[in-house]
Amino acid sequence: MARNFRVYEKKRGHRRTGSRKLGSAGEALFFAVFFLLGCGGLVALFTTLVVPEWRVNHEFVQHTCTVLGTRIAEKAESDGGTVYRPEIQIEYLINGETYVSWTYDIHNSYSGGRDEKQAILNQFVVGAQYRCWYNPADSKEVVLVRGYNWWVWLLFIVPISFVLIGGGGFIYSALHLGRSAEYRAATTRRMVQPELFDRHGQAGADFPNVPTGANMTNSPGTKLAFRLPIATSPAWALFTTLLACLMWNGIVSVFLVIAVSGHLEGEPDWFLTVFIVPFVLIGVGLVVIFIRQLLVTSGIGPTLLEISDHPLYPAGRYRLFLSQFGRLKMNSLEILLVCEEEARYRQGTDTRTETRRMYQEQMFLREGFTVRRGEPFEADCEFAIPGNAMHSFKSDNNEINWKLLVKGNVEGWPDYQRTFPVIVYPNVSGSSNP
Amino acid sequence: MNEFCSDVRGSNPFSTSRIRPGAARFLFPRGRCAEAMVGQLQANDWRGQILGPHGSGKSALVAALIPAIEQAGRRPLLIALHDNQRRMPVDWNRLTAPGCATVLIVDGYEQLGRWARFKLKRFCRRRRAGLLVTAHKPVGLPDLCRLTPDLGLAQKIVDQLLGEQRSVIAPSEVAECFFRHRGNLREMLFGLYDLYEQRRRSTSA
Amino acid sequence: MNEPRVSIQLDGNGRVYQPGDTLSGGYELESILSGDVSAVEVSVLWHTEGKGTEDLEVHDFQRFSTEDGDWLVPGRRGRFKTTLPNSPLSYDGLIVKLRWCVRVRVFLRRGKEVVGEMAFRLGDVPAAEAVVS
Repeated sequence: MARNFRVYEKKRGHRRTGSRKLGSAGEALFFAVFFLLGCGGLVALFTTLVVPEWRVNHEFVQHTCTVLGTRIAEKAESDGGTVYRPEIQIEYLINGETYVSWTYDIHNSYSGGRDEKQAILNQFVVGAQYRCWYNPADSKEVVLVRGYNWWVWLLFIVPISFVLIGGGGFIYSALHLGRSAEYRAATTRRMVQPELFDRHGQAGADFPNVPTGANMTNSPGTKLAFRLPIATSPAWALFTTLLACLMWNGIVSVFLVIAVSGHLEGEPDWFLTVFIVPFVLIGVGLVVIFIRQLLVTSGIGPTLLEISDHPLYPAGRYRLFLSQFGRLKMNSLEILLVCEEEARYRQGTDTRTETRRMYQEQMFLREGFTVRRGEPFEADCEFAIPGNAMHSFKSDNNEINWKLLVKGNVEGWPDYQRTFPVIVYPNVSGSSNP
Repeated sequence: MNEFCSDVRGSNPFSTSRIRPGAARFLFPRGRCAEAMVGQLQANDWRGQILGPHGSGKSALVAALIPAIEQAGRRPLLIALHDNQRRMPVDWNRLTAPGCATVLIVDGYEQLGRWARFKLKRFCRRRRAGLLVTAHKPVGLPDLCRLTPDLGLAQKIVDQLLGEQRSVIAPSEVAECFFRHRGNLREMLFGLYDLYEQRRRSTSA
Repeated sequence: MNEPRVSIQLDGNGRVYQPGDTLSGGYELESILSGDVSAVEVSVLWHTEGKGTEDLEVHDFQRFSTEDGDWLVPGRRGRFKTTLPNSPLSYDGLIVKLRWCVRVRVFLRRGKEVVGEMAFRLGDVPAAEAVVS
């Protein structure tokens, strides 16, 4: 059938997408804009909010002033509301010259809540003397309060999110300019799951379609020959969750502050309030997930697994050395040797991946013990690969993967599982079987 | 029950090589055939859409129509778009020479963005090429076929795949699998793969 | 006249081989007229089967073509011989199966093709069993 008409499908090895470079450049441009907006926001926030506060705290000179009067300044908003700011009239003398000025803090910003402003004014008695700070470069610039406002830092969440997402996306797009979606997917997977296998590699000529696992023997162990790399680092999952949490909550917090301020001022915006509730709930959910992950990652600590030899062969016997860090009360900790088949099928708009386990054996089990911080739990054991085991296999759409799983059941914490891929070679005469 | 064909030792009739579009004879809806459908396509100026939910056999119907399109004197050019592919393949518009009677077949048409769809339709108009697409929802082309798999069709497909081994899987099991996968024939066939495999292994054990 | 077909025979025990073994055998074109054959391709390959998209890789390939001056006579038995690789081994898995075969594809002058295939086993990995959880 293929002889009589042309079939153009997106398959590995035949990269065919329209204007890939233009598309990738467009993507890079999109993220660059995001990044620049974030940088612009950061700069704007910094120069208008942070720098003035810093100047007051470090450059302004302390002095004494007399309060002549107080008032609340009002400004009408475009939506019909009113915002306020406290103003105190002071008189102070510098080098024989008398200055009179209406002031309070360096921002001189308006906001809702008239009662709050009145409460500020009530702290100042007309005729009394108070400390003030003036700008030595311009004596007319003076403030009655200094320090840092916590809400200023909250505003940084939004531009930081833009910078992280835009910058990350731009770098990713630029690195993969003109690359296919399969290449991107493989590279992305490598970021969270280091490419432990390549299909052919140096051993490819001797063992076609058996992964070489070059990355698996480049880390020597402390007790045994090799330290096995973990399949998916918990840190990457944590980072991804953090990014999502920051971005989502950063944007939602802006609207939340507006909504809450309206309620505090007695001028609630009910439409905004109702509208923002589901978004806030999602944001809270993200925070909970992140905290949970953080607790798991930090509390459970890294799991290190070392092996006496690699790659593995059928009927071979090997030793394992396990180190579990953290501060945990373990119900059980076990090591399993498993083999799984993985099949990917693409047809039409559907891609399905199915995994089936065809071998599982428990290598190690310990129950009811405690891991103390700074004192990792250590254990070693021996195991064997079955004599008639199928070797590791990798092709475009089908794989056979051997793994060592470390599964922990922790009291009061979610169960965790750490996966350490291994490679089993086929038995051939003359091969270096142990 | 266990009449496994000895000549296909270890070969599962529901494996992807047997169920992929074009591998097995397409079972046309009652009263319809490839030639009639191509005639209808021709009557609509070689423009048409094949609609149906996931796993209803759209790609398989396309594979079945291609020989008939060739016999009708047109050159079919099949472009299969997979998930998230929002653009046509590069250089696709150079694949049809001016004056060449081509029918562009886009499997997964609704994945294309608006701009890509506009360019494609404009290209076909200018080159007088036909356009046959598959989609889950109408996309503004004349209806060629709307696939709505039912249990009867599912049973026929299974019977065709099993051949002499029909007794391996009972009709009630096919029905259960069909309804469990809500009429998605592809998923149903994958489900029957597991059942067949299980039976084969227990027989040879 | 019968349908054209290709028959393939493997030497020795014919079906089970080990890595590094020599696979040899012959093929014959049956019910094909002399002069009808334009080319013959002999491949030793493996392919997957199961629930994933089929993957295929050719270990050894030979093409004989009248254009290249090869003498293709249907009644004459053709031979093939190759050294089998260390991997991948034949495997009867749950959703991934790996099959080795010799495939002979005959190209006839009127654009038709005739394909013959003979499966063999490389290695002696037993069939997989599902893990009962």
